[in-house]
Amino acid sequence: MNPKLASLFDEPEKAYLQPHELNALSQLVSSLPDRINLYRRLRNEELTLMQAVADALQQKFAQESEDKLKRSLQNGMLMVRYAAMAMLTDDVEIVVKRLEPWLPEMIEAYDTRAIDQALYQLIREQFVSRFTPAQMTLLIPGLDAAQQIITPSSAANDDDDAEITSETLVSLF
Amino acid sequence: MISVADLLVDDRLPSNYFASDVYVQGTLELGLLENRRGDRLLALPDALMKAIVSGLNKETGQATKYVLKNCGLWWGKNFYARFCEELSEYYKKGVADLPMVEFVQALQECWRTHGWGRISLNTEYQLQGFLVIEVKNSPFTAHQIQSEQPSGALEGGVLQAFFSQLTGRDLSCLQTSCESLGADRNRFVLGLADRLQSAEALVQEGQPHDAIMKMLIQ
Repeated sequence: MNPKLASLFDEPEKAYLQPHELNALSQLVSSLPDRINLYRRLRNEELTLMQAVADALQQKFAQESEDKLKRSLQNGMLMVRYAAMAMLTDDVEIVVKRLEPWLPEMIEAYDTRAIDQALYQLIREQFVSRFTPAQMTLLIPGLDAAQQIITPSSAANDDDDAEITSETLVSLF
Repeated sequence: MISVADLLVDDRLPSNYFASDVYVQGTLELGLLENRRGDRLLALPDALMKAIVSGLNKETGQATKYVLKNCGLWWGKNFYARFCEELSEYYKKGVADLPMVEFVQALQECWRTHGWGRISLNTEYQLQGFLVIEVKNSPFTAHQIQSEQPSGALEGGVLQAFFSQLTGRDLSCLQTSCESLGADRNRFVLGLADRLQSAEALVQEGQPHDAIMKMLIQ
């Protein structure tokens, strides 16, 4: 759940919740049927949606190695699953917390950034064509968070981290 | 054509196994902190780390670092086995089939989630046969063992055992910079024993990491 809302439940001993706090809670609750509905669709349509994206991606990057495209598609599916969960729970943090430390390094290591970014746009187009503007409003925070993670600035870590490529370490010694 | 369904592993997309909010769990009513597969975790107080170092110093004097190194070696060996077991369970394939980049990434996340600091592998000297492991914010080197000397005996032991197992070589480990001596991070050089031996004196003299590496690759 959205951490701000979740924190409402932290200190029952302190005071009863205020009207504005209960309002925020009601808002989430009343949006839940829509969220669950959309989540169910994302789940049921995952394969057809992503297959359409995959076909378009392969056309766009006809010269690219299949391994890289597959890698990128896995990243894309992962992002969508996290964005879906973020939408369901109204918690964008889950995308950041789980993917931020991990995904940028994978993108770097497998050198898929350009494909990932194009893929993201294709996913977004698929979504816009399938879902209503109201549904998109629910989805966008999670998708934006995912996009942040695959754009270069956020991948630039604070230091000169490992330059490990996909070769093996065993060959080192 | 790529089939998207084939990209899933048991309908899953393995990603960040060690994500802290999922990895650390617990049966708190029983007083147990656990990882996501139910192995027990312990929170190690800094005061205990300090007590171990000062207790060993008092009882064994100069031997402290050798004792800690040995503890590290033992721990590293077990840690490697458990780490591989967890990863292969999660990825549904043997660690040997796991791309090295994912293995290393998992190690980094594992380190971070356990609160052992930020570990990274520097492969700058790979062609010369040395691997440099860097750790920032290490909890294991906060307390000096001997004045003016690096204090990462325990950590060095873990890394030596871990990477020896990983590479199938009998590696040695030399710490060339230490946070307890004001360095920005701990640096551990891994390589074959006979090639590292000559650098030990330089560490004792307090030579900086870069100078030591320069000598090593000559």
